[in-house]
Amino acid sequence: MIATFVAAFGIGVASYIALEAAGGDAPACIAGSSGCETVANSSYSHLLGVNIAVFGIVGYVLLLATALLRGDGARMAGFGLALAGFGYSVFLTYLELFKIEAICQWCVASAILMTVLFGLNAIRMVGYVGRPA
Amino acid sequence: MSGKSSREARREERLQVESAGKQEERRKRLLQIGSAAVFLAVVIVAVLIVVNQSESDGGDTSLENVATVRGELRGIPQKGMALGDPSAKVTLAEFGDLQCPVCKGFAEEVIPEVIDSKVRSGEAKIEFRSFTIINEESVPAAAAAIAAGKQGRGWNFVELFYRNQGIEASGYVTDEFLTEVARGAGVPNIAQWNKDRKSTSVRDQVQTETDEAETLGLSGTPSFVITGPNTGGKEVLGTPGSAEGLEEAIEAAS
Repeated sequence: MIATFVAAFGIGVASYIALEAAGGDAPACIAGSSGCETVANSSYSHLLGVNIAVFGIVGYVLLLATALLRGDGARMAGFGLALAGFGYSVFLTYLELFKIEAICQWCVASAILMTVLFGLNAIRMVGYVGRPA
Repeated sequence: MSGKSSREARREERLQVESAGKQEERRKRLLQIGSAAVFLAVVIVAVLIVVNQSESDGGDTSLENVATVRGELRGIPQKGMALGDPSAKVTLAEFGDLQCPVCKGFAEEVIPEVIDSKVRSGEAKIEFRSFTIINEESVPAAAAAIAAGKQGRGWNFVELFYRNQGIEASGYVTDEFLTEVARGAGVPNIAQWNKDRKSTSVRDQVQTETDEAETLGLSGTPSFVITGPNTGGKEVLGTPGSAEGLEEAIEAAS
């Protein structure tokens, strides 16, 4: 299943961001841009005192689980989680572009992975929900 | 016998139709839940964006030219107090005092032209250096700019400060004024900015830069110093009268 790989990849990206932030550094941006530093230092990088990337890890782990499980429960949960993740990624990308005015490639990478997962989970839900596994 | 089996077959068929119907019903319901979730998500994201949009853009600020400064600097990389491509061969250093009215004039008339013609293209980068000569109020102002630079908003801070400058040494450089400029400049983390601008290392940096200006023999603000492949170290330009003067110096240095 493609979704399994994408979710695993997402865990990797989110873990990298969270680990760098926990170590007090910002994720290294490609091509020496300071975008990642700006984004990581911004007030939007934490929600309720927890780094956004930690929510990302949890989200991707749950998405990985739903990709591995069968049945309507997993299909619906996967779709709901991917929808929430996708919606939040849209909001974060909006913040990066128009509020923080800096782009962090790692965040973009995560947003792309979330979009792919949303697409895959939407196809899975619409195509198979209510039908035998 | 045959009657019984045909009855059973009919029953079987009826059950199958019923179960298919139930399955279809269930599928319909789940898809409805999915659609409702999509609708809800779209509404939530839209509300989040609208709420954030109205909070900002200096909507409640009395500062002028917030949007002008934003437009002037949009898309140009900033690192510390340097504006422009970090690998640009020519570095133009502006030694300025945020309270100085001549610097304000430069920020409005000269610098935007140089940014458009030479910095945006990657030919040169401009660094703002503190040369605090007016009075002691110039020091916290310079420190606040450096602290904004730590969050990639140094130039936004400098340009916005100049455009909202008060009367020299009149006591307008208060914490409130500086915070307003920082917000207008889009400094993302104000708490961190407050910590940085009051730190010894930032205050030391203001002093070091002012000392450097004196070592270079600069006598007023703004003074420009250029470094490039053709300058043989730092070349003092003084205060050129126009954007053309600075553009020519950049061309000669590269």
